[in-house]
Amino acid sequence: MVMSDIRPVLSALLRNRTGAILVSLQVAIALAVLVNAIYIVKQRVDLIGRPTGMDVANMFTVVSSGFTQDHDRLATARNDLAWLRAQPGVVAATRTNAIPLSGGGSSTTIGSQPDTPNDKNVAINYFEVDEGGLETFGVKLAAGRNFRAEEIMPPDPNSTKAPPTAIITKSVARALFGSEDAVGKVVYDSLNRPTTIVGVIDHMHGSWVTWDKVDQVALLPVTPSFGGDNLYIVRTAPGLRDETLRKVEEYLSTSDSTRMIRGVRPLEYYRDRSYLSDRNMAIFLVSITALLAGVTALGIFALATFNVSIRTRQIGTRRAIGARRADIVRYFLVENWLVTTGGVLLGVALAFGVGYWLSTQYELPRLDLYYLLAGVLLLWALGQAAAWQPSRRAARISPSVATRTV
Amino acid sequence: MLAMRHISKVYRTELIETHALRDFSLDVASGEFVAVTGPSGSGKTTFLNVAGLLETFDTGSYALDGVDVNDLSDDARSRLRNEKIGFIFQSFNLIPDLDIFDNVDVPLRYRRMKAAERKERITSALDIVGLGSRAHHMPSQLSGGQQQRVAIARAIAGDPKFLLADEPTGNLDSLMARQVMDLLEQINEMGTTIVLVTHDPELARRAHRNVQVIDGQVSDYKPYEARNVPVAATAIA
Repeated sequence: MVMSDIRPVLSALLRNRTGAILVSLQVAIALAVLVNAIYIVKQRVDLIGRPTGMDVANMFTVVSSGFTQDHDRLATARNDLAWLRAQPGVVAATRTNAIPLSGGGSSTTIGSQPDTPNDKNVAINYFEVDEGGLETFGVKLAAGRNFRAEEIMPPDPNSTKAPPTAIITKSVARALFGSEDAVGKVVYDSLNRPTTIVGVIDHMHGSWVTWDKVDQVALLPVTPSFGGDNLYIVRTAPGLRDETLRKVEEYLSTSDSTRMIRGVRPLEYYRDRSYLSDRNMAIFLVSITALLAGVTALGIFALATFNVSIRTRQIGTRRAIGARRADIVRYFLVENWLVTTGGVLLGVALAFGVGYWLSTQYELPRLDLYYLLAGVLLLWALGQAAAWQPSRRAARISPSVATRTV
Repeated sequence: MLAMRHISKVYRTELIETHALRDFSLDVASGEFVAVTGPSGSGKTTFLNVAGLLETFDTGSYALDGVDVNDLSDDARSRLRNEKIGFIFQSFNLIPDLDIFDNVDVPLRYRRMKAAERKERITSALDIVGLGSRAHHMPSQLSGGQQQRVAIARAIAGDPKFLLADEPTGNLDSLMARQVMDLLEQINEMGTTIVLVTHDPELARRAHRNVQVIDGQVSDYKPYEARNVPVAATAIA
């Protein structure tokens, strides 16, 4: 098909343009919405699928809540952790103050110098853990060392002392010291209390998945000191999580009558809950996009069907004067392609406009051109597919229609 | 040019069978101008459809310009129609969305002709029918007679050996009808075989030979006898 073959089809189309313009507009709107929606979905999917740095699939949480006066929280924690760590299939377990990816946690700011101005401080999401914390989270130590047992601070409800050591993520190290080695350096909290960095984790996500500094995490060698609860995180060998989780819940529930066991959940539960709105948004946008694509295909199909039905005599005449069936199919596919292309050209401009508006209003990244190209190809293919059946039907019209007088 | 032997064509529905052509035989020689006449329902249009390869037939044989059309594929029939037959329809059958030039161009495009050759043929054909200056008018801007002349230009632009005209003056007043018949005679004199299907005895008289169809059969069938018909004098370029 060369340009000179397109000219008469275009010429005929322009003389019956109302339907074509309406369908072109539909295609344009579909392209603009489809491309931007899919781009947003891709961002959401990327967000959900980001590496957390942790062995999320094999971790679970347990909360032990003491409810009697004589409940000894610290002794219970010691016993529970000893029992947990002794179980076959358990890789590591720790006591902590918050659950990563759960939406709840603690944060503070630290600086690389005493009296660091607020705007130079680095915000961190911290987790109080013991020497088993590193292995429990399954994070990779990039430099330095793990905590030693003697470094773990006892509970301090009044927070009078800063922890002597800390392990931070590379992200925090970069924010504090740039490209310098952070191990051995001292950081200061808002009360100018010093803490020495003893290790650097390659990567770890903290509690708030929507926070742009979600990987600014620090592990502190501190025994958590809130209420009567002990929060444990347990990591198992691959494939043993669910079995171990059931066994742990059963044992801990009956091992101590002064407490109750709750919150026995895979870490995936918290992660999925945190990303629920992103997942729902993605599902909603995919549904809307599919619906829009379907409606657009129906519009193209309806226009092609209408064009065939009002041109029965014309098609018969074309067949009579020498058109092969393939010529008739080609005619209608070219006509449809022109309608779709008109819409696509307008849609490209519209998609850019919508993309720009979304990027300025909602701080989304600019629309990726590959998505636009994919959208154009998809709508072309959709248009041709929708026009295929009416075109085939047109090709089946007998040339003898040309000699009928009614 | 056209040799039909014992053709039969039956239209079937669930309830009835209609024998549109039965044992239909006809020869038309190259360069002849034959009028096929008959009352309504006699089978004239079925003959036209079969002769023009617009419909297949059930039994018999048919050779067009020496080509046995019995077992041709749909594509081959389309090609044969395009190359050897020019159609002139009662309702002109111009494509309303195309201008006159593009209407005449349609069959030439299906023949995959080069643009320059197409343009030359279209210009020549429009000049023959006297509409060279109207090339970029739309069909709706022309009178009925002019539209039929465009249809004739479309039919002859491909330089067919055989013109099939279906009541070509049926929708025209007498003056325009006469002009169209004059044009057909002129084309025939240039060597093109013409079969004119009509119920108008006045028009039929202008043909070299009349063939009457009644009840799907040639009522006065006589094998073709050589006579002094014009030979191909000028090919329409």
